[in-house]
Amino acid sequence: MSDAETMADSPKKKGKWTRRAFIGAGVVAGGALVVGVAVRPGNPIDRLSPMLANGQDEQLLNAWVKVGADNVVTAVIPHVEMGQGVYTALAQMLADEMDADWATVRILEAPADKKYVSDSIGRDFLFPDLEVPEIFEPTVAGGILELAQAMGLQFTGGSFSVRATGQRAMRTAGAAAREMLIAAAASEWNVPATEITTENSMLSHAKSGKSEPFAKFATAAAEQSLPAKPKLKSPENYKLMGKPLARHDIPEKVDGSAVFGIDANVPGMKYAAVKAAPVVGATVASMDASAAKAMPGVLQILNMGDFVAVVADGYWQAQQALNTIDTQYSKTEGDDLNLDGLFARYDSYLNDAGDDGGDIETEEGDVADAFVRATTKVEAEYKVPFLAHATMEPMNCTAWVRDGKCDVWSGHQAPVNARQAAADAAGLDFEDVTYHNAYLGGGFGRRSEKDNIEMAVRIAKATGYPVKMIWSREEDTMQDHYRPSATSRFQGGLDADGKAVSWSNIHTHLFDPQEAPTVPYYNIANHKIRKVDVPTHLRFGPWRSVDHSQHGFFIESFVDEMAHAAGKDGYAFRRELLAGSDRHLKILDLAAKMSGWDQPLPEKHGRGIAFVPSFGSIIAQVAEVDMSGAKPKVKKIYVAADAGFVVNPDGFIAQMESAIVYGLTATLYGEISIKNGAVQQSNFHDYQMLRINEMPEVEVQIINGDHKRLGGGGEPGLPPLAPAVTNAIFAATGTRIRELPLSKHSFA
Amino acid sequence: MTIARALPLLSLILLAACSADPVPGPTEQIIVREPGDAAVETAVATPEADPELALIAAGKAAFANCSACHAIVADAANGVGPTLYGMIGKPAGAVDGFAYSDALNASGIIWTAAELDAFIANPAAKIPGTTMVAGALAEPEQRRAVIAYIESLSAS
Repeated sequence: MSDAETMADSPKKKGKWTRRAFIGAGVVAGGALVVGVAVRPGNPIDRLSPMLANGQDEQLLNAWVKVGADNVVTAVIPHVEMGQGVYTALAQMLADEMDADWATVRILEAPADKKYVSDSIGRDFLFPDLEVPEIFEPTVAGGILELAQAMGLQFTGGSFSVRATGQRAMRTAGAAAREMLIAAAASEWNVPATEITTENSMLSHAKSGKSEPFAKFATAAAEQSLPAKPKLKSPENYKLMGKPLARHDIPEKVDGSAVFGIDANVPGMKYAAVKAAPVVGATVASMDASAAKAMPGVLQILNMGDFVAVVADGYWQAQQALNTIDTQYSKTEGDDLNLDGLFARYDSYLNDAGDDGGDIETEEGDVADAFVRATTKVEAEYKVPFLAHATMEPMNCTAWVRDGKCDVWSGHQAPVNARQAAADAAGLDFEDVTYHNAYLGGGFGRRSEKDNIEMAVRIAKATGYPVKMIWSREEDTMQDHYRPSATSRFQGGLDADGKAVSWSNIHTHLFDPQEAPTVPYYNIANHKIRKVDVPTHLRFGPWRSVDHSQHGFFIESFVDEMAHAAGKDGYAFRRELLAGSDRHLKILDLAAKMSGWDQPLPEKHGRGIAFVPSFGSIIAQVAEVDMSGAKPKVKKIYVAADAGFVVNPDGFIAQMESAIVYGLTATLYGEISIKNGAVQQSNFHDYQMLRINEMPEVEVQIINGDHKRLGGGGEPGLPPLAPAVTNAIFAATGTRIRELPLSKHSFA
Repeated sequence: MTIARALPLLSLILLAACSADPVPGPTEQIIVREPGDAAVETAVATPEADPELALIAAGKAAFANCSACHAIVADAANGVGPTLYGMIGKPAGAVDGFAYSDALNASGIIWTAAELDAFIANPAAKIPGTTMVAGALAEPEQRRAVIAYIESLSAS
């Protein structure tokens, strides 16, 4: 093990927190070099090396790389893989800076440990644009670290992995490892470090003809002084970043060997099926399990208060027995609520807020005055429904509570949170819980909640033996944390030239991101945006693109209505609103050009455009629809995207395409409705997915607008989709869609 | 975004983290039976103390390789394969209602541990024409354990 102080930004600023995280290095079993970007002062290599060396008990930190004696470079990834390709993109960033041989790079998911949550994520999540004078840096960064720990921010979501962890940690770790290896080789070969080149995990010195693998210098490299600020490559020197490399997880997902949370297999494990009270907040008043007791395979029947569980030898036995249990539930305030009543409640809160009530989110100029003076006034109200996540892998969790310890197996977007939830449910300390994360069969925000973890742990605690709890599809649909339904009202004013002069909006509740309802990129001199919170008993949760999923539709529908009122084309009107923002205009122009915006279309066909910057990326989409049949047929979606710099174009395009699948599913069919307080949908027959014959052709073009400030990929493709489609329907038919989904409307 | 605007979100999350209620256990717990079959359950000795029981327990776990096709309870409905309950000491093809291959029916085998060992090591080699096309166990130790488990559930 090398000396353990190190971690300073530079000798002069020793021990000081800086915007760069701390670099640490050491040697682990077998002579492997480990270099990492730590999140706190002090070298944690000693403590971490056993975990990394034996490959077991994996927990996380920010970003680490291991160079093994076999010259294999292993990237330790502090994020979870839920189909978004993050393992590959982050490993690409690390391997590129290190000049590692991509063919032999391996990937290891970091372990769920509180000590190694990412301050960079915490910081970007909480204070994305915060600039801090250097003198305050120690306090701010240290404070953010504590907050990040408190929030369990070893978190995958918010389209943050590449732009935060990748950009700040993975690249730094790779560059630092490379510089240390070069220094070791320079010392051994007695040549200047500047004459040593690196490629494919090899170090070479051209003049002397010397060439050796990284591994040869692994031990010596750990003895080198740590680079204070490793030099990162500039884009013209990228070898792996920007390349559409094949995803690391393709083979195992094709041959079926990939292990998801639902695949957990623990010796002696039994199975649980569960049914929660249909109305959130209700409890089980009585339970008649007489038939279930006599059914094959049944081991236990549990009334857990808020849900009923049957434990059996097999999952199907448990589910069949559960289906025979007659359960009565307590009365709650939510029992009388129906969807219409909820929207009526939204209306009454919005009415009560009037012209000045509610919470102001942004305000500039004098909206009331500008609206009064406006030549043309436009008003509209929009509604969107609750949506379920419908992950392909239903919710599940396997737990074993015994001897003061607890083991939990699942696929979770925030493994540290999951571990804490398990500890709370088991009545144990965090340290007594081992959390085993696996691939997530879809996340979309659903797997950031802790309900499934708590339920499995409570069942396992009651039985004493390991239990795998699997939700039926019905349970998964009816017990989600739903994308909130919402109502949004707008008033817009246009002057005599058809120029937008006022923009007023009030909408129900705001979750995240805070800027989702705002339009700072549009030049409208007077604007005011407010929200009202409306209480309901339903559980809200983040859904792909979170609040941008509602507000993208609201904002871009209303912009289109204003364009129409101004007698202008939707593309031309948005060009005026974006005047002066070159990067935004480039994307809008590209989408229009790709679609042949000015070209004529057949009768009953229409094009619609929408523009939504979100999660650091700028996206414009044009939808082309055919309205000649009884149902809208979305034929093609053109996507123009500026995500700063796209690390893996193939992965990014796949994210745009999958956002369109997910968004179009919601636009055409997505609706969770409420009757007597309970969710009415239960399975895919009444909560439909997009079919393959309904999938439009998708064309994506990427502009790399700023390689220093990366945008996200997972979410930004979704918000423009719905308004692009509904604006296209308006263009084709003159019918303005102000309420989703489209299945509520008749086009015959 | 400014700090002031970020703070409400933060405080919400922190509040949520601090308000952990004690999580309730079951209000009603009906234990129909404990896991494990009767043979293991009624034994006084624990698997740790008795190597025979340990072998049976290992065999029970390894039976997961077989259970997709074979049940091992009395009078179980036949699946892809016949139930294996009580098979040791019986002639091949003895389970009522299962459509055995002609080859197996004609084999004349009486199932002993040794015969079974040879069969599950490589079914098609032992009885060419058998319809058992999956589930061969290459590991001798695993076969020994599975056979011990099957023997423990045989009438003898």
